[in-house]
Amino acid sequence: MDTPIYEIRSLKHSYGGQPVLSIDHLTVKQANIVGLVGPNGSGKSTLLRLLGLIERPTRGEIFFNGRRVQPFSDEARFLITMLPQEPFLMKRSVFNNVSYGLKLRRNGRNIVGKVNDALSLVGLASEDFARRPWYALSGGETQRVALAARLALKPKVLLLDEPTASVDAASAQLIKEATLRARQELGTTLIVASHDWQWLYEICDEVFHLFKGKIFGKGRETIIFGPWQRLKTGKWGKILSDNQQLQVSSPPNQEAAAVIDILSVSHDRPPTSGEDIVLSGTVSRLSLERKTGRLFATILTGDFPFNVGIAFEQVKKHTIFPGKTIFIRYRLDQIKWI
Amino acid sequence: MRKCSDYLVSQQSHFNPALYIVMNFLLEGFLQAFNLLLSGNAETYSAVWATVKVSSYSIGSSLLMGIPLGFCLGYFDFAGKKPIRTIVDTLMALPTVFIGLVVYAFLTHRGPLGNIGLLFTLPGIAIGQTILALPIVIGLSATAVESMDKKLRITIMSMGANRRQLFLSTLWESRHGILAGSIAAYGRVMTEVGISMMVGGNIKWYTRTVTTAIALETNKGQFGMGVALGLVLLAIAFCVNLSVSLLRRRY
Repeated sequence: MDTPIYEIRSLKHSYGGQPVLSIDHLTVKQANIVGLVGPNGSGKSTLLRLLGLIERPTRGEIFFNGRRVQPFSDEARFLITMLPQEPFLMKRSVFNNVSYGLKLRRNGRNIVGKVNDALSLVGLASEDFARRPWYALSGGETQRVALAARLALKPKVLLLDEPTASVDAASAQLIKEATLRARQELGTTLIVASHDWQWLYEICDEVFHLFKGKIFGKGRETIIFGPWQRLKTGKWGKILSDNQQLQVSSPPNQEAAAVIDILSVSHDRPPTSGEDIVLSGTVSRLSLERKTGRLFATILTGDFPFNVGIAFEQVKKHTIFPGKTIFIRYRLDQIKWI
Repeated sequence: MRKCSDYLVSQQSHFNPALYIVMNFLLEGFLQAFNLLLSGNAETYSAVWATVKVSSYSIGSSLLMGIPLGFCLGYFDFAGKKPIRTIVDTLMALPTVFIGLVVYAFLTHRGPLGNIGLLFTLPGIAIGQTILALPIVIGLSATAVESMDKKLRITIMSMGANRRQLFLSTLWESRHGILAGSIAAYGRVMTEVGISMMVGGNIKWYTRTVTTAIALETNKGQFGMGVALGLVLLAIAFCVNLSVSLLRRRY
């Protein structure tokens, strides 16, 4: 069996005594694309900083290619690179920003060619951009130059923290294409934190869902946050904007978040028994999960988007397409609370 | 010139003698400044040379000591950092006459360093001016490093830098802030009078700087000459800032 490129054991990380991340065990396979999803403050960026050896975990161990690593480890520092969320360049020209990492590696041969190649990968013409100072770029161009600086290093692992969050659609597309080319051409392992679920499900081999610093699922679940109220039926839940009742089992506290796994979708309202809850909703998005070949639907019930993985045959059978009203079913006794 | 001024005054319905005097000083000063510089007045050039020389000594030594100390103060977290920072910030406001007094006390013949013979010399003034500039360089360099974007560290480390490379790259990235601090210190050194007067003694051809010459000319009632020397000082400061500005654009 191949050694995983990353292995995390009993990792805990805190800032000022406040725990922000707790992962018992996690492995990432070589050349995989791994997605991290979760709300703001869930620990995605912290996990990326730890994997990028920017910070040392408060407790626990990170193994890279089977060897224990930490910030400045010689075994890993030239193999891992990370693109932070907000575009940032050093106070020097575009050329010097992109060539910085190459110079650190004393990778002196044909630096100009390597910089030009990296810039063209992200859709920037070297003759127009190489001499520009750091302040003469738009936000999207800055992020693309920052990505070019990472791609020029031909890394084994590229960590991307919401790489398309603060750029326009055209820049986002170029960034997505460039990162995927790095994986195809160099076999780079990509770990991507993003709110763009559709993109992650299209490209990723695995998607991990983070919430309050813990990995609790593969990202297909729907999380619904409190506060919860007693409904007229005496059960706990919420009244949705279309007046449907979203019922849940008894929450541990009013602010707890419910993790709901949708069991089935259907064209017609299914029969229900004791613990079954059925809601009607409108399909708002349908996308392909690249690895499984399954389709991934987002169904709006009231204002809440439910995420559901659906087999291709089911989509055909129930003629599911965006805009269509369908029924989703979940069980109260299968709701998890976090 | 007098005729021109008289004409201007006669045109005013409300004659203001104070304004007239000030205008006259400035006009005279401008003319004398050009005259002094273009005619190669030896006394003026001696004061200019003494100013440039002594300020270069002091700013050079304070940058050599101050930048590494300021960078370390801003970069590293250690016990006692905050009290040290407060002391440095306080020393940034040291009065020049007080420094002059202390340095004089040390360098005078009866003082602990009296045998070195630096009293009433340019190196003696430079010692005092270094004490003046050092806290400014340390304090503003530390501020420049502390105010660096936190993303810089992530960027440098994510490119594979080791500890030494991270340290050097952070220093280079904070160069504009450090440069601004150095210019502020240079300005303070160039324009101070207290140290130059007390430690240098304002000796003609030896320790007379532009600022002490201005003080002397004003005492003599030669206000025009004082303004002229002030303008010369301004011209030196302009040349220094222009050079720094060109350097900033280049790097």
